[in-house]
Amino acid sequence: MRFAANIFLVVKKDLLLELRGKEALSIMIFLSLLLLVVFNLAVDINRDNVSELVSGILWVIFAFSGILGMGKTSLSERDDDAYLNVVFSSVSMESFFFAKVLSNLLFLMIMELFTIVFFVVLFDYERLFSALPGLSIPLLLGSFGFSVVGTLFSFLSTGSRFGEIILPLLFLPLVVPVLIGGVSSTDIILNGSAGDTPGKWLKILLVFDMLYLSISLILFRYLVEE
Amino acid sequence: MRYRKIIKALSLLLFFLFPVNFYLIFQVAPTERIMGDVQRIFYLHLSLAISAYIGFGVLFVASILFLIKKNILYDVLASSAGEVGLIFSTLVLITGSFWARPVWNVWWTWDPRLVTVLILWFIYLGYFLLRKSLPERMKKARYSAIVGILGFLDVPVVRLATKWWRSIHPRLSKEGGGLDPLMVKVLLFSLFTFVVFTIALIYFRFRVALVEERITSILNRMEES
Repeated sequence: MRFAANIFLVVKKDLLLELRGKEALSIMIFLSLLLLVVFNLAVDINRDNVSELVSGILWVIFAFSGILGMGKTSLSERDDDAYLNVVFSSVSMESFFFAKVLSNLLFLMIMELFTIVFFVVLFDYERLFSALPGLSIPLLLGSFGFSVVGTLFSFLSTGSRFGEIILPLLFLPLVVPVLIGGVSSTDIILNGSAGDTPGKWLKILLVFDMLYLSISLILFRYLVEE
Repeated sequence: MRYRKIIKALSLLLFFLFPVNFYLIFQVAPTERIMGDVQRIFYLHLSLAISAYIGFGVLFVASILFLIKKNILYDVLASSAGEVGLIFSTLVLITGSFWARPVWNVWWTWDPRLVTVLILWFIYLGYFLLRKSLPERMKKARYSAIVGILGFLDVPVVRLATKWWRSIHPRLSKEGGGLDPLMVKVLLFSLFTFVVFTIALIYFRFRVALVEERITSILNRMEES
């Protein structure tokens, strides 16, 4: 019970911070909109090819906007070593990490919803809306994987001399399974014929999530002990 | 004294193994019927791949040991093995490319095994960039151990994820089907040579890194006083 209460407290703190400062989330959303515009300029997206391109474009945007946003939320923990107050409180390391993962997950999901709305409006692709219930599962599983790795690595990168530039370099290669699983399952849900199910891709996402959550919960302790 | 003896023994062994290995590969092994002489790259390519995985495996184990025991020696071992792994995996990608051009008619293809090695290569490149960017010694050791552990665990998942793509990588079946018995023997000898070479390289690099470590700590002490 205590575990859940502590998690709730930290998530509430992050949300309050976001509501008052409006920093990480708005940067993520603006970046995803900007990336959509850039994609449209780089690749001519039209009625004929939009269904082929949509899943790849969305997941690339989720990964890039996501990792930059998560870098920002950890930076606010590192400012004045704010997270040390949590470390020295009764909140356990594991529940603190899990709470950070959840609040990052929440930010990611909000950013992804905005990106999907932008996509539908900009490219007139309403299929995304009708498929949204089915898409919610890969979105949730994929974002959870992003959030676990991103939370851990963004804490790691705040101690680095190279700053946030090191973050995508560490993050992107590691989340390749999430990208493959996310893109493939989204593609099958949007374009697959009747017999296709995204089952095996969802399984990969689930395996990745479970593996990295359990390992990160163990390793996070070593990251913050100074 | 013991260190000198080990170095001497390993060097002597390799001095003997390498010429024999190359003689076997270029003179004794039969020429492949379809691919021709270019197939001989395969003996080196596979050996290099195994060696790279040994390097990353040692990095993984040493990283875990460092986090448990907090002994800086394990971190020195991890980074030494990682350097060897990174160099060998670079060579795997290059030799694979040389082989693929005449056989598959492309320099690169998005085959699961190729993608896995490439992703691994990026992960460990990130590992060394992170090390470079952390000035404080213990922090560097702790953070890079975390990346070393997470990176190695990614290998099976990446393999699983990329496996369902069309694979054109030549498979060695369990019965050794398609591979001449003499080829298998040459391959095993090459593997043995490279495993010894990898262990020797990691050991030499580890010794050098220990000296580097000592010099840095002496310099730091001199600056403080």
